[in-house]
Amino acid sequence: MNVKAALVFLLLPLSGLAQTIQLENGAFKVAGWHPDRAATPADWSSIFAVSVAQPQAAPMLGTYSVEDGTLVFRPRFPLAAGVRYRAVFEATGFPRTEAFFDGPERADLPATKIVGIYPSTDVLPSNTLRMYIYFSAAMSRGEAWDHIHVLDENGAPIELPFLVVDQELWDPTYQRLTLLFDPGRIKRGLVLNEQLGPPITEGKRYALVIDGQWRDARGLPLSRGFRKTFQGGPPDRNPPLLNLWRVSTPKAGSLDPLVITFPKPMDYGMVQRLIEVPGVSGSVVVDRQETEWRFTPSEPWKAGDYRLLVNASLEDISGNRINRAFDVDRSKLAADRSSEATGSLPFSVR
Amino acid sequence: MRTKSVAFSRLATGMFFVAGLAFSATPAVGPTSGKADLKSAGQLAFGPNGVLFVGDAVGAAVYAIETGDTKPAQTAPAVDIKGINEKIGSMLGTMPDQILINDIKVNPISKKIYLSVSRGRGPDGIPVILRIDNTGKLQEFPLDNVKYSMVPLPDAPESKPDAAPRKTPEGMGAGNPRAWTITDMSFVDGKVVVAGVSNEEFSSDLRSIPYPFKEAVTGTKNVEIWHSQHGRYESRSPIRTFIPYTIDKQEFILATYACTPLVKMPVSALKPGAKVEGDTIAELGVHNTPLEMIPYRKQGHDYLLVANSIRGIMKVNVDNLGSYKPIVPKNDACKSSREPEVSVRDGMKSCGIDAGGTPFETLKELKGVYQMAKADESHVLLLQDSAGVETVNFNAGNAGIYTPEIKGTLDLKTIALP
Repeated sequence: MNVKAALVFLLLPLSGLAQTIQLENGAFKVAGWHPDRAATPADWSSIFAVSVAQPQAAPMLGTYSVEDGTLVFRPRFPLAAGVRYRAVFEATGFPRTEAFFDGPERADLPATKIVGIYPSTDVLPSNTLRMYIYFSAAMSRGEAWDHIHVLDENGAPIELPFLVVDQELWDPTYQRLTLLFDPGRIKRGLVLNEQLGPPITEGKRYALVIDGQWRDARGLPLSRGFRKTFQGGPPDRNPPLLNLWRVSTPKAGSLDPLVITFPKPMDYGMVQRLIEVPGVSGSVVVDRQETEWRFTPSEPWKAGDYRLLVNASLEDISGNRINRAFDVDRSKLAADRSSEATGSLPFSVR
Repeated sequence: MRTKSVAFSRLATGMFFVAGLAFSATPAVGPTSGKADLKSAGQLAFGPNGVLFVGDAVGAAVYAIETGDTKPAQTAPAVDIKGINEKIGSMLGTMPDQILINDIKVNPISKKIYLSVSRGRGPDGIPVILRIDNTGKLQEFPLDNVKYSMVPLPDAPESKPDAAPRKTPEGMGAGNPRAWTITDMSFVDGKVVVAGVSNEEFSSDLRSIPYPFKEAVTGTKNVEIWHSQHGRYESRSPIRTFIPYTIDKQEFILATYACTPLVKMPVSALKPGAKVEGDTIAELGVHNTPLEMIPYRKQGHDYLLVANSIRGIMKVNVDNLGSYKPIVPKNDACKSSREPEVSVRDGMKSCGIDAGGTPFETLKELKGVYQMAKADESHVLLLQDSAGVETVNFNAGNAGIYTPEIKGTLDLKTIALP
């Protein structure tokens, strides 16, 4: 080994060793480089730039210091969850070094997701009136229509069959969005129905696609999108008839559920709240693609005669009310419920 | 096909908060030096000698920061900052959608621009004050070591930082009732006037706090107005924006509410525990929320510039405002019309009117203006959405009730007063 080679060998660890940028306890550090005495704090921001990893990002506010011979940048504010940061070290005579760091995990709350789309059945009558999208947490407002898509059987997007209104139909907690199929296309004899046909065509296949870019009330996107495929079925213009409901009665002294089976799916939102057993408290589960209503009492059943009270506003998925079809009497579409009669079904617990 | 709003229910449903008198007879703090430990930075107002009042709704307090920014300038700098939310986001080390610009005011002495910002949308959003100097440079105005005083706001709604955002007729509102404490703030005739709600019956509230601060001041009992579009008296709807206004040498508050009645009330009536009745002098349009209002004078005429959620920017001629007759209930039946506890319906149809009071024009070229501040005698500063938004949607704020939903980027620019 000659002298020159030995010098090179000796110098390498001093200047040629790659500098690394480290993130420790919220502070960015350049390891393996000793700040030149000639460099002043005014130079440090050009030597070591830290920013959000976005094009043309302005430098992040913070302070530079030299601690134990290491250049340190302390951001003014704690690193934000879900944000990626870029740190670039670039000093004369040293290789440019770039490193990326992620802010802390969003550990506080899980991402919001879609927990259900109703009707859950795969065959929707061509005159289906509503769909509900349920979310696990409150959603943002005003961007629903950008994230809801309906595809035809070839996967091509079609014009939304829903009544697209700026005032989105949210529940008070912003966790349920109601989609109304355009009533003008459902009702026979109306111009839209005659020109465009019903929103769902019998026999055709569709996919309702919700993309994951939809933001929740915190401004964060959904954990993932959602896809529901369905087929158009024949229109249903028959009012639900109570005498076709099957009632399975529980045994006295048990906590068994009272089970009602419907011959066709009912409106998911309504069926949960418009059927009750007067004098008995308990919880309701709607199951089997909205053809089953199960009521579990909070106290064991007592033997005796009961009745099931059904609010006549209850609708099937085509908007047909108990004993009254949807497109028979238009003027009563939004009739107030106070004047409605109720239906009742007697049952006995033995 | 995009159809306009189907339904527009009126007041937020079920706005009842438990009373918690945490601040009875609390003295004010300061003047002192050190860290002004704000919990939120919302509404801003300038007082004498460069004092910046910062409304801290979440902390239920008003801070008076002595900025020392007292070097006079005649004209405001011409500002044109595209994507200011992106710029602020990267300065504060986060994404632009995590930046809420809560208010903008111009120091009337130095003409420097002050912005109150939340860094983070959630309940843990960090309050930040930023300043733009006369060369257009944007910097933080740190509150770590400042001379300040602070006055608590008694009877503020209870703080529930983790409460989910709540639905209101205007959009999502802050879930934390405390964020509703301050909706606007001004310095009038030696007093800081704070509009918002108090926990007592969730009333619309105006507090008038003499400065320098001495002790906490309870608000008015409530502020009641005849809202002719709704055909009833209202005392629960909070004032959305207001300005001090002198009419015939007397100081008034000109206030607007959701659905845009323009209401006048004398400052002298704002006394602790007093019930204040505001005179509705104009109706500027239903289904609309006023965002900001500034008065100005041009070519011998008096105007108000009103930024709105769905009705664009209105230039309202207010010459002879003193001679406007109040819009009053038409008859005794209307007179007894009061808003119900939880309002879901309008008042009596026969009691309402559609619009009226004062002539205005809508400036169609100005769309998506979320904030406005008077820059100097002939200029106004606008914070505008680049997407040309016609209808402003609201999301939950964390230093106030609402924050507008941003569709494009936010641009800050100076224009000549129209």
